[in-house]
Amino acid sequence: MASRLERINRFLDGVHRNRREIVTPEGVALEVEIANHGERLTAFVIDLFFWLMTTLFLVLAFALAVREHVNGAVAATIMLFVAFLVRNLYFIHFELTTQGSTPGKRIVGLKVIDCDGGALTPAAIVARNLTREVETFMPLGLYLSLPAAGAGAWAQLAYLGWIGLVSALPLFNRDHRRAGDLIGGTIVIATPKRRLLAELGEERARYAFSRRQLETYGAFELQVLEEVLRRPPSGDTSRILDEVCNKIGRKIGWEEAIPHADSRAFLTAFYSAERAHLEREQLFGVFREDKTSAPRRE
Amino acid sequence: MSVETARAQEGAPPRPLLALHSAEFRRGREAAWTDLDALITKAETKGVPALSADELRRLPRLYRTAVSSLSVARSIALDRNLLLYLEGLALRAYFVVYGPRVGLTESFVAFVTRGFPAEARRAAAAIALAFAAVLVGVAVGFALVEGNESWFSTLAPESLTGGRSPASTAAELRDGEIFAPWPGFVPSFVVFANFLFRHNATIGIMSFALGVAGGAPTLALLAYQGAVFGAFMALHYNRGLLIDFLGWTSIHGVTEFGALILCGAGGLVIAITILFPGQYSRLENLALRGREAAGLAAGAVLMLFVAGLIEGGFRQLIANTPGRFAFAAATAALWLVYFLRAGRRSGGGEQA
Repeated sequence: MASRLERINRFLDGVHRNRREIVTPEGVALEVEIANHGERLTAFVIDLFFWLMTTLFLVLAFALAVREHVNGAVAATIMLFVAFLVRNLYFIHFELTTQGSTPGKRIVGLKVIDCDGGALTPAAIVARNLTREVETFMPLGLYLSLPAAGAGAWAQLAYLGWIGLVSALPLFNRDHRRAGDLIGGTIVIATPKRRLLAELGEERARYAFSRRQLETYGAFELQVLEEVLRRPPSGDTSRILDEVCNKIGRKIGWEEAIPHADSRAFLTAFYSAERAHLEREQLFGVFREDKTSAPRRE
Repeated sequence: MSVETARAQEGAPPRPLLALHSAEFRRGREAAWTDLDALITKAETKGVPALSADELRRLPRLYRTAVSSLSVARSIALDRNLLLYLEGLALRAYFVVYGPRVGLTESFVAFVTRGFPAEARRAAAAIALAFAAVLVGVAVGFALVEGNESWFSTLAPESLTGGRSPASTAAELRDGEIFAPWPGFVPSFVVFANFLFRHNATIGIMSFALGVAGGAPTLALLAYQGAVFGAFMALHYNRGLLIDFLGWTSIHGVTEFGALILCGAGGLVIAITILFPGQYSRLENLALRGREAAGLAAGAVLMLFVAGLIEGGFRQLIANTPGRFAFAAATAALWLVYFLRAGRRSGGGEQA
């Protein structure tokens, strides 16, 4: 059903996301949008920043507290251990308490969910985050701890190859799942914030249109018009409104000239009439996708 | 005609009166949506506990309203903003209403007291297989080094030998290693235990992760760990120190090898899931058993932490072989009881 919106979303928002359906216990199918690679990378980089800062802060605090009493080796071990703990607890804690979003994910608008839409269990969260350790951090640590030149060339290659292969995994499946998502049975979805804007349709309008005029367009054009009308007022917007107004006027054979000042009023009236027309048709089981396609009975 | 024109009184400009069903529909329900939106936003940012009793009572009713509004809107409305808003609202509300509400401590306690032992019991076959791989490794390592000590440096990595080599004499091993004095709190606990913990955790997690590659690498890695141990055993055996060496290692080795075997078993569970998916697809099956397997590995890392503490501390504090064996037997018994009994409900099913 909602996939009817897919084309218009892609056209107007310029973002394409794969979709997947989950069915609520009430029997309503909800569509989720799979997060894109770029979004996930951004979220990860933000999280990386946060936990690096936390680790740095903790280590500095610790170093100040005990700087007299310990030597370099002890300090290094403690640092590594604190980094290990913060890293793992950071992701697990936030995904547990805020139901699937770390601060980075929340900023970008992502969320971890169970791949069947069921409850996101602690086991799944631990599984997907521990695997992160194996996917990236451990081979990275091993790679960095190798001697710089000579002896470890093959080992270096192996570690880098492993990181490369595992990081490329999300590129090769439809749901963009990384190894941890496969093991935990989770997917990461995008939850863009959407506000409910004011109703555009006006039931009392200055212009009336005939059925023939309204049959010129379909749902796609209606929703493009909606987007145009929802643009914040500016010089640019009024120019676009004029253009659209002329185009529609020509197309539906509107005979009187529409003054510039009335462009918005005319388009709003046309939008309302068109929507009322298409919605009524839809109520009777006839859906018209766009101006080029014939009305479809369903 | 879809446009109903209604002429107002004489003289007024003609004004068509539209029947916008979706606008009417929206007017009736918008208040409930806004209310729900505010509730979810609060729950998302401050957590569900931040909701008051009254808000909690309203939440499920408002959620059902939103879900049914969505179904209706999909069939009657063409307002894209409205549709997208309702899709998003219903989805967000769904996650708040049906999402789990467990904190870090709570789920940690549940995992340690019930989840981990239950998962270990379920993976009994994989554990047996991993154990067998380690035993084979020990036997091979022992046989190789016992016959020809030049194998020792081939098998054991330098970072672990700590100066022990075929050149070591019995006296060196006895006084510098097995019965060495306790070096003090900071070096033994913080540096050495931590190094061992990270080394073992790396190997453990690696043997778990290699399960994805079909199990053979996991078995090989486990066997190799066994072989290193077998090599050390042979080195000490040739100097007549086998019993003392076993006592010295068993004190933490029981926990450590137990953990490594559990990690390996986790990897094997994954391998079996991938190789023999049964009635589900490989991915579904992986999602089903992968969590359990990862749980095994996570629990095993906790065990390694315990092993690191024992190794760094208690090992040199108990300076005689019978005492060490007694301690090792006690840890073995504790782990056995834990894995066999913990989390089992008397008369009821298991709580996973």
